[in-house]
Amino acid sequence: MDVPVLSIIILLPLAGAAVVALLPKRRPELVFPVSVAVSLLPLAVALWMLFDFSTGEAGFQYVEDVTWSESLGIGWILGVDGISLFLVVLTALIVPVAVAASRSVTDRTKTYMVAMLVLAAGMFGVFLALDLLIFFAFFEIVLIPMYLLIGIWGSENRSYAAIKFVLYTAFGSAFLLAGIIAMAILAGDAVGTTTSFDFRAMLQTPLGSTAQLWLFAAFGIAFAVKVPIFPFHTWLPDAHTEAPTAGSVILAAVLLKMGTYGFLRFNLTLFPEASVDLATVMGILGVIGIIYGAAVAIVQPDVKRLVAYSSVSHLGFIILGIFALTSQGLQGSVIQMVSHGLTTGALFLLIGMIYERRHSRAIADYGGLARVMPVFAGFFLFMAFASIGLPGLSGFVGEFTILLGSYLTLPVLAVIAGFGVILAAVYLLWAYERMFTGAVDKPENEKLLDLGLREIAILVPLAALVLALGVNPRPVLDRIEPSVEAILDRIEQTTDYVAPEFGRAEDVVQVEPAAVDHEGEG
Amino acid sequence: MGNMAFLPIAPEVVLLAGVVLVIMSAVVAGHHRNVWGTVAGAALVGAIAMAVLQWRELAMTDSAGELYFSLPGLEIVQGPTVVMDPFSAFAGIVIFAVGLFGLIGAWSLVAKLGARGAEFVTLVLLAVAGLHMMTASSNLVLLFLGLETASISFYVLAGFTRERINSDEAAVKYFLLGSLASAVFIYGVALAFAATGSLSIYGVDGLRSFFGDTIVTAPGTLLVGIGLMIVGLAFKVSAAPFHQWAPDVYQGAPGGVVGLMAAGVKVAGFAALARILVAGFPSQIDTWAPALAIIAGLSMIIGTFLAAVQDDVKRLLAYSGVAHAGYIMTALVAGAAGIPGMWFYVATYAFMLLGAFTIAATVSGVRRGSSSLNAFAGLGRRAPELAWAMLVLLVGLGGIPFTAGFIGKVSVFTAAADAGYLWLVVLGLLTTVVGLYFYLRVVTAMFMRQPVAAEAPGTATAEPAPTTTARIVIAVAVVVTVVFGLIPWPLLDIVRDALPL
Repeated sequence: MDVPVLSIIILLPLAGAAVVALLPKRRPELVFPVSVAVSLLPLAVALWMLFDFSTGEAGFQYVEDVTWSESLGIGWILGVDGISLFLVVLTALIVPVAVAASRSVTDRTKTYMVAMLVLAAGMFGVFLALDLLIFFAFFEIVLIPMYLLIGIWGSENRSYAAIKFVLYTAFGSAFLLAGIIAMAILAGDAVGTTTSFDFRAMLQTPLGSTAQLWLFAAFGIAFAVKVPIFPFHTWLPDAHTEAPTAGSVILAAVLLKMGTYGFLRFNLTLFPEASVDLATVMGILGVIGIIYGAAVAIVQPDVKRLVAYSSVSHLGFIILGIFALTSQGLQGSVIQMVSHGLTTGALFLLIGMIYERRHSRAIADYGGLARVMPVFAGFFLFMAFASIGLPGLSGFVGEFTILLGSYLTLPVLAVIAGFGVILAAVYLLWAYERMFTGAVDKPENEKLLDLGLREIAILVPLAALVLALGVNPRPVLDRIEPSVEAILDRIEQTTDYVAPEFGRAEDVVQVEPAAVDHEGEG
Repeated sequence: MGNMAFLPIAPEVVLLAGVVLVIMSAVVAGHHRNVWGTVAGAALVGAIAMAVLQWRELAMTDSAGELYFSLPGLEIVQGPTVVMDPFSAFAGIVIFAVGLFGLIGAWSLVAKLGARGAEFVTLVLLAVAGLHMMTASSNLVLLFLGLETASISFYVLAGFTRERINSDEAAVKYFLLGSLASAVFIYGVALAFAATGSLSIYGVDGLRSFFGDTIVTAPGTLLVGIGLMIVGLAFKVSAAPFHQWAPDVYQGAPGGVVGLMAAGVKVAGFAALARILVAGFPSQIDTWAPALAIIAGLSMIIGTFLAAVQDDVKRLLAYSGVAHAGYIMTALVAGAAGIPGMWFYVATYAFMLLGAFTIAATVSGVRRGSSSLNAFAGLGRRAPELAWAMLVLLVGLGGIPFTAGFIGKVSVFTAAADAGYLWLVVLGLLTTVVGLYFYLRVVTAMFMRQPVAAEAPGTATAEPAPTTTARIVIAVAVVVTVVFGLIPWPLLDIVRDALPL
């Protein structure tokens, strides 16, 4: 790996931000096309990586390791495995989509685009960093551009939502940093330096069960706020609703995944014993999120808020899948992270498009839109079905695999979570019915223009991926599976937990996990 | 390299020579302020050069123990008086650099003072010399003299625009409370002397050899002595609960000089605290570290929560300074292991503070005291460069990653966690979150609010345009914040060696 691919992915948006910032003041029309162009560069690299990635390997690939401080154990350590691979690709895809969807931003466009690109660099960093200090740095730096995006370009209540977003997340991060420092000191003791922030060194550090519990809590609070897990979710509806369209898209599609990624990457591997002990608790919190998020979504009069609450519900599935601690559960979680990013991202885009035309997010202000804007209605229905989990679309693969996986270890929770899928159909289809079907009863809605070419061009790739992932998730699962199995292996080695698998009796030869998955996809 | 015997006091000699030259050239050149301004600048640059020379000399000879400077023929002064070690050399570099850029930042204020400007510059040079003396003294009485030289200069500077009533008020308040703190400190020195019979930290009769081979016969006296010295210095660095003077003084004193006052005193005050406690009373660490931890915790809580309710940027920075004093003190509870963290934090913090106060002074005027949050409203449109610079500095003060503030915070908290003060670390991290709230309030005002109408009280009328000198200081502060946030390793390596003997 001579070419530092991962550094390039992180640095490209930053270089792009510099280019955008240096564009001449008297050529404001250049800002938008240049921003779109530079935001596509990381996507190109990410796609190359997706195909170059060696399938079937569990470890980190394209690893970069530059020591910055020997005695403090800090280094620029990056790596990608089957779990982070798809989150990086998702981020690389969502950023140009979000940038391209920001045509209507006319106030301080340059600053907006710079914030967007810096945000992109931060998100890539989070998913690629294998040094926990670097990870934390990226995890936290993301707040500042997002704060500006919500606070400057958001809707009426923006500065409240922006501050709330920062404070909630930073509150969680405070515990995370305390946990990382404690962990680094312990890891440093083990390798004989003051501290060591190297993830691989931390994996080798033996931890007592009390220490695991405390550190799990410290890391967990930060990730729980970010996900968000009930009861840490109250920042989310405000932030999503007040953010500009692109901000909501990025929040939902990528930022929330930082939390679930954190659980998967750090909590399960560094604190396996605590993870096993707390699996049921976390599963219960996940299921509360599923049902609560869905129930609250049903009664929302504001469609953007409705989708925001639906995120709480969908993210609950991911948490349930992770803490089911089974191969299917973990794989389903990763798929669901990607799928939720695509579908919810697309729904926020669609809401943004209608908001630009009508300047209202209230469901009651619409009705019969399918007649006026048939293309728009079609995309909305498609994404709503994908979000609900209609077989053949991406949401189904994720949620079904998660339910399957969690049924093995947490059967009661899996059954309750199943109702979440039904509730999802209720809130999304009911909203669709109120907004799109029937007669056009509001005169303001009669003259609305259907989607333009640029808007369709933004939505088509998302729809295509939703369909592809739903029809044939095999290539994706092949890449995720080894990394997920490695996490389970580690848990099984360090604790007396044995991950159950379908069709396995103690005296029978182990069934090929791949075969099980084919059944799982129905 | 000539006679090395005078190297330990070379920076002070250069500065005092500068003082004399400034006064003389002011008499000759009068209103040509560039003349004596250049002399003062040259003196500060010379002092920095001397400190760098000290650092290099120490790195080469590795014989710091012999580089004392003693006053011959003074019987009352036992043992060495001035010590030259990596600690004092690094302190010199930071303090003189803060002095230099503080003076540059205050230059537009000096320009408005006319002929009195030379007095102003003289006082700055004297203050800086006193501050460095605090960090380089082996003798506690000499340390006190350095403290007083700096303090008295700052009392006068705080009231320098005396036609303004609140500048007078600030000066008087600073003087009265500051004198009290000085008295408390010197009483602590006296009690420590009573308990140990020594005024010097190093040398054959010094405190270190005393604790090496003697049993303390009056532990109570010693304890009170150490306690009073901590209180005196805690006052100077505005740590809670000895912080009440800071907001009023920062708000009242002329905008151009506050940054220098706040930053310089913090650097020297913490250096002195570290020198006395870590080098002078290392065996008493179990007594003073918990006391420091409590002061640190109180400072974080009080500073943070009071900063959150301020509507004046200078008061906000003053109260946040209380919280920062708490964070820096967190490093010292770890004893010698915390000194590198303390250095990194205080050195970068000094520049962020200098930059932030310079911007505040630019926005609301160099002679003015108050700097209402309203004056910052809509700054993102009125003066985007200034607003972005302020954003970087505030984010740095808030300890967000990729700024020096984050590295500083991680350094001090790591030291404290390693020493077993995990509760203090968690408290510190949580108050940092609240800290983000009030720093972002300023950002919100700058970028998310419309400019307040000019008639409203406390607003700046014209678009704030920083002078060239202010630009230099702001640029340096931003560069320090960002560069040491991205590439902290060289500085981290340096501060690791900047330990007292």
